[in-house]
Amino acid sequence: MIRNNNKRAAALAVVLLLAMALLAGCGSGGISSGKAEGTTVVALTASSAEILYALGGGDMLVGRGEYCDWPPEIAEVPTVSSGDETNVEQIIALKPDLVLMATMAQSPEQAAQLEEAGIEVYTSDASTIEETYVTIEEIGALIGKEAEAADVIASMQETFETVAADKVDGGTIYFEVSPLEYGLWTVGEGTFMDEAAGLVGLTNIFADLEGYAEVSEEQVIERNPDYILTITMYYGEGAKPVDELLARSGWENVTAIQNGAILELPNNELSRPGPRLAEGVQALSDFVHGIENG
Amino acid sequence: MVERGRYRPVVWVLFVVATLAAVVVCLSLGSVRVPLPDAAREVGRFLTGRPAFDKTVWSIVVTVRFPRVLVAGLMGASLSVSGCAMQGLLKNPLADGTTLGISSGAGLGAVIAIAFGIQIPALPFAGTTIMAAAFSFLSLLVILTLAYQIDRSLSSNTIILLGIIFSMFIASLSSIIITFAGEKAGTILFWTMGSLASTTFANAALLFFSLLVFGGILLSMRRELNAFAIGEENALHVGVDVKRTKLLVLISVSALTGICVSVGGTIGFVGLVTPHMVRYLVGPNHLRLMPAVLFGGAIFLMLSDLAARTLFSPRELPIGVVTSLIGAVIFVNIIVAAMRKVK
Repeated sequence: MIRNNNKRAAALAVVLLLAMALLAGCGSGGISSGKAEGTTVVALTASSAEILYALGGGDMLVGRGEYCDWPPEIAEVPTVSSGDETNVEQIIALKPDLVLMATMAQSPEQAAQLEEAGIEVYTSDASTIEETYVTIEEIGALIGKEAEAADVIASMQETFETVAADKVDGGTIYFEVSPLEYGLWTVGEGTFMDEAAGLVGLTNIFADLEGYAEVSEEQVIERNPDYILTITMYYGEGAKPVDELLARSGWENVTAIQNGAILELPNNELSRPGPRLAEGVQALSDFVHGIENG
Repeated sequence: MVERGRYRPVVWVLFVVATLAAVVVCLSLGSVRVPLPDAAREVGRFLTGRPAFDKTVWSIVVTVRFPRVLVAGLMGASLSVSGCAMQGLLKNPLADGTTLGISSGAGLGAVIAIAFGIQIPALPFAGTTIMAAAFSFLSLLVILTLAYQIDRSLSSNTIILLGIIFSMFIASLSSIIITFAGEKAGTILFWTMGSLASTTFANAALLFFSLLVFGGILLSMRRELNAFAIGEENALHVGVDVKRTKLLVLISVSALTGICVSVGGTIGFVGLVTPHMVRYLVGPNHLRLMPAVLFGGAIFLMLSDLAARTLFSPRELPIGVVTSLIGAVIFVNIIVAAMRKVK
């Protein structure tokens, strides 16, 4: 009896899945390019959601990964689990035409399951500004917003060119990703922050490392950065990131601490492959020029 | 027979010298290379209350490295003397804060304190410390009660098995809390990894006083622990107040473990490794073993932290990775040795 029930349940599930797949398939009817009207999208990564909004496709969004938090109005869109907990059923239930996800965060099996359900899947893993342009271009093509994509890219390029034309004359910067209490994490080569430093005319003090890395406090003090950029989250308890940095014992003689040359960018401007990279780089440039000019 | 139970003064001197040597090595070596004379000059000026000679060297050696070395040493001593006392009390060479699940319990207490914002207004970090200590005590009670149900002698590996199951149970409870902790999840996750990166002289002072009080209690019970090491019944027969001894040991071990976890997170296997190594040097008699373990533990954790700081410089390893690596090897070593004995 029990076995029978299980079989029946399994069969039912298969039928339901098939039905959903068919429904989803009908809905999309081949969106491969240029179809804007009625396209629905689920964005699992924060950067892809930001790109969607920047392209004017925010109203296409029917579901977002729980870490998609920008722009603020995205909060009204229902969330789905993402990352390690990506739940294919949740996504299929939203019947999107297109799912935007990251190569790193979701498994190929999950992408295959979605595609079997008739949902188009776009994965990206941009880690440089150039690659980010490509992602914006491709998402633009998928949702029929090629022209908007070109505009967004052009505007980003303009910002970067303006910043690069106005480079400061050297200087070093330390990027803080996690605060001292949990062990210092910073970024090295191959990250947007490192690239941003180069655009502004600064050198990342940890350019000898690659990607994200936990580093020793002693190293920061010895490498003595002229500027500090912290992207540390503030959870509403204890000292705020900048105050905490200023109060660190042993850091009193670090140039950036002495000059109060600390910038806080708490909204992931420089950690996501999206259009706001331009804002982040601009903010860094303005900040550095502001300090230079006293 | 050589004088039983007491150190000859030479042995004392050797332990003190070895510990001081470890302090010097750990102060002079680090992620940043500072020449020994420069480091010594700044430390000397610090100890004699004079201002810095070279401000950068002072920052690195005195402000950052010194408290960290002290904390590592005091924490190593606390965890090791706790492990040693538990091993004696339970007559079980595998007993330790990590294997018994006390550290995980303490960690859960701290997680709860962070997630629910349990704080004592006058003392900013005391909430976490007290919750960690309370939970390590509760964990000990739970594990021992369960173990008693299965095997009254407590010396078998049943208790270790229970400890591991308990750790897993605690880990899932922590995960549930983290899932619902919202924005604090990040804080908690980072915190559970354990780190000596932001230690201060205040942390060192807290550890020092807890070691003075609770370590002192444990050291004062060396004779009782010797009696327990032969068997609880034996302890009873030779006139040990079994209940009082047990309660005092359990409270002291919980307090020491809880305070260590609240300062540096869970640093595994320290209480297992050190007594095991020190036993080779001074034998199993607690009269000698316990004080020797204080020094051994301090040296072990200071050197482990040195490895964590320098092996992949400028990157830093979490110290728990180093101790667990060594601890796991020794753990297997003890099990194999125990199995051979049984055969």
